[in-house]
Amino acid sequence: MWKNYFKISFRNLQKRKLYAGINLLGLTIALVSFISISLYIFHEWSYDRMYSDAERIYKINQEFVSAGERQLVGTSPSMLPVVLRDEFTEVEKATLIFDLGIFSTVMVDAGMGNQEESKFAYTDEYFFDVFDLKVLAGQKSKILQHPFEIILTQSTAQRLFGTVENAVGKSLKVDDRSFKVLAVMEDFPQNSHLDFDFLASFQTHRHGKDPQWSPSNYYNYVKLKEGANVADFERNLAEMVDRNLGSDQKEYGFETDFYTQPVTAIHTGDPSLSPIKPGVNLKYLYIFGIVALLLLGIGIINYVNLATAEATERNKEVGLRKVLGASQTQLFGQFVSESMILTLFALMISILVVYLLGPILSNWIQVPLQLGLLGTPLGFCFLASVLVFVGFFSGTYPSLILSGMKPISALDNKVKLGGGAWVRKSLVVFQFFVSMGLLIATFVVKSQLDFMREVSLGYEKERLISLSYPYQAREKIPLIKEEMKRSGAAVSIAQAADMPIHIKAGYKIFPGGDNPREFMITGYAVDLDLISTLNINFLAGGNFSQADLSRDQLKDGSEEFPILLNESAVKEMGWSPEEAIGKRVNLSDMRNAVIKGVVEDFYFNSLHQKVSPLVIFNSPSEANVLLIRIPEGDPSSHLARLEQVWNLQVPDRPFNPQFVDQAYANLYSSEQKSSFIFSLFAGIAVFIACIGLFGLVSYVALRRTQEISIRKVLGATAWDVLGVLALDFVKLLAVSSLLAVGFGIWFSQNWLEDFANQTQVGWGPYLLSMVTVLALALTTIGYRTWKVYRVNPSKTLKSE
Amino acid sequence: MIELQHIDKYIESRFQRIFLLKGINLTISQGEFITLMGPSGAGKSTLLNILGLLDEDFEGEYRFGDKDIRKMKQRELSNLHKSEFGYIFQAYHLIDELTVYENIETPLLYRNVSSSERKSIIADLLDRFKMVAKKDLFPAQLSGGQQQLVGIARAIAGKPSLLLADEPTGNLHSAQAKEIMEIFQELHREGTTIIQATHARENAEYGTRLIQLIDGRIESDEKI
Repeated sequence: MWKNYFKISFRNLQKRKLYAGINLLGLTIALVSFISISLYIFHEWSYDRMYSDAERIYKINQEFVSAGERQLVGTSPSMLPVVLRDEFTEVEKATLIFDLGIFSTVMVDAGMGNQEESKFAYTDEYFFDVFDLKVLAGQKSKILQHPFEIILTQSTAQRLFGTVENAVGKSLKVDDRSFKVLAVMEDFPQNSHLDFDFLASFQTHRHGKDPQWSPSNYYNYVKLKEGANVADFERNLAEMVDRNLGSDQKEYGFETDFYTQPVTAIHTGDPSLSPIKPGVNLKYLYIFGIVALLLLGIGIINYVNLATAEATERNKEVGLRKVLGASQTQLFGQFVSESMILTLFALMISILVVYLLGPILSNWIQVPLQLGLLGTPLGFCFLASVLVFVGFFSGTYPSLILSGMKPISALDNKVKLGGGAWVRKSLVVFQFFVSMGLLIATFVVKSQLDFMREVSLGYEKERLISLSYPYQAREKIPLIKEEMKRSGAAVSIAQAADMPIHIKAGYKIFPGGDNPREFMITGYAVDLDLISTLNINFLAGGNFSQADLSRDQLKDGSEEFPILLNESAVKEMGWSPEEAIGKRVNLSDMRNAVIKGVVEDFYFNSLHQKVSPLVIFNSPSEANVLLIRIPEGDPSSHLARLEQVWNLQVPDRPFNPQFVDQAYANLYSSEQKSSFIFSLFAGIAVFIACIGLFGLVSYVALRRTQEISIRKVLGATAWDVLGVLALDFVKLLAVSSLLAVGFGIWFSQNWLEDFANQTQVGWGPYLLSMVTVLALALTTIGYRTWKVYRVNPSKTLKSE
Repeated sequence: MIELQHIDKYIESRFQRIFLLKGINLTISQGEFITLMGPSGAGKSTLLNILGLLDEDFEGEYRFGDKDIRKMKQRELSNLHKSEFGYIFQAYHLIDELTVYENIETPLLYRNVSSSERKSIIADLLDRFKMVAKKDLFPAQLSGGQQQLVGIARAIAGKPSLLLADEPTGNLHSAQAKEIMEIFQELHREGTTIIQATHARENAEYGTRLIQLIDGRIESDEKI
């Protein structure tokens, strides 16, 4: 029976090429999107699940409460793992990782000169007990117990020493200290939140030999024993904190609390807790998942719509089969098998396309898609369930309609599918609602991105280079500045703690006098040239001068120390810019700080955050970067001259300049990625919906060919005919538009919530997406109409 | 075999009922070969459809054997339909996508006949109607008479006890029509009950009973 179903279905599809082609194309595109998105979501979901016992591994995070402010941090003290191992019965193993990359890069010399490396971490001998990664060569146990031992990952070993075997036993200089390569381990998996090239023994570090409760600079992980209760463990942690830190907490007026985070939840968790590798926003994963289902839905709807529209053509066949004794179940089986076959074809093509496009796609979204997964039993089950799901859902409704027809009326071709019409209409409305909704979302995301890119930050970010320099080169900076300016490749150079797009250091400020309120303020350590290099405007007062003290010249902090505040800071204190000049405030150890100038607010973080109070003070010794304003003209020639100066003065460090405007754009890379993905989705949705519309209009046009011919004979123009055919669809699109606008308003409110500085969306995105979809839909209908209109009436009218 | 009593069939239009059949009383016994005659619109096809269980929208009593079809469940009706009835149409109504072989096979598939049995039944029928060479052709490749032969083969493949034919020769020229009628006669001799609707007087000559219909009523009912 099934063999027969399949044979007939196959012939049916062969016979109706347009119908089969449109469905195949729509389903294939929908399936390609669905499979790719599923692979992507699976990749993000699979993070840190590869360790055996991953479900028992936890990271210990910390909550600080100080001066009424709560702060969650992902780091904890070096003493913690020691205590965890010694005092906690539920702990099987505990290990610590100290990621040097969050502070600075290191210079590694494997005999070929210094190379800058950023993925460098210290860890202890328990690392491999918690994370069971493979050691490929060298010592397999008792590693990292002693100072100056180091493990390389496979690709690092190959990069530095040619082969894995070669690397073992060699020595390696890290910031001029010699380490011995004990072993080579496999690379960290791509779906691990840990990502290092070098693991050095924590014993090398002073806190390795002598663990302390402060500072909290370390990532701590525990593997709990089987059956251990996490809640009990956290309770014991709290008791432990009281025992060990109780007195300190009272004395310094802070509270601290340790809590656990499952290792598998790190990647989708708060990104500030684990900055080793950028995480993923769970919200986006859900959105992508929903969109994947919607795209699949649109593909299925195409099938449903075309199949029900086509049902009119198949009346006779259905009627006959019923007369010949087919039961409704048997007919249902036949039509569902037809949709199954089509889905199977689409699925096979999709898998091929996914394999071909996979690498390109991975590259676009910067996430490795594990195509091999599709070949595993799990992948096979996934694909099989997609087949059944899609085949069944697309086949069910049309099959019910077809198999439910009364035989006599079906034979006489009397059936008008009145009942199916409203279902078909609602499905079309839904398709175009989704398409327009996605388009609106795309335009909203894009307008916020444009806004962020084009907004004036309050200083000139163009032609501004940031060049980080090592601590050791500090003495030479005045000379380097001088030489660079002399080379003609720099207009102005300033020293600063960081690029002006991420200023982070937190201070407490206490205005004093009649203004007793203390508040948090961000501090920016710079030199005298910063204001002129960035072109920041003053609202009142002026810049520091040569005569002013710098922070390292302060002896006990009681000396008069000039500072600059931004507008938000003086507003917070309740002063106008003019009033603020000359006022004295207490700023951490700078107890006698005098406000010398007030600058206009400028953005010093991503636009996710509002401009908050900022203090700028003169402290070149705290600076890490040179901010260089280059002149007009070809940047590469300027860079070349700057590099010459650099290589002469700091020969052992690489010249690594960054353009501030590019770094600024990178702040929004995740938004850019989602903007890209959204526009891709929207494009796909519109396309699938339009080919579906094409198919539907084709059927309508076919059925009304004769009517159109009669109209033509009576003198109708092509436009009149278009009006006749398009009107019904335009009404449906109007309904879709209304729904899409509603969705768009909801979406823009929700999505823009994450940004403290929002673009004004206005009606642009709404109109644009409606007009786009309408234009595409009308073009589709118009093309079809034109073909029918051009048919010679004598051809269609003579047959009757 | 079949007993109809007070069968009415009408369409409700806005102001009045238009009767297609009115007050039909008819008893059909096993082994009859009945011809329904009458002008267009007299109700021949309507009556055939009701007799063939293709149209359940009528008033009156219909007994098949000792069973009242009004009281039968959908499943019983469907089984009765499958086991007792065969249909032949004026326009042949073959399934265009299927070959001759597959068209004949279709009713057997719906009756869950095993594959080997299907093969032997179809082989016999093809042989009987001399269509063996044409078994892999599609309907469009056959002449009208040949298509109707396939239609008959298909109708009797399930070994029905009652064969219903609506203008079986209406689209055929006389030589072909004669051939079809001779086959009917042969089937009748083998014991099949046949009811045919026709315009052509000469076709009635093959039957055993002639019923004239006019305006939805039985005008005359005579043995031949």
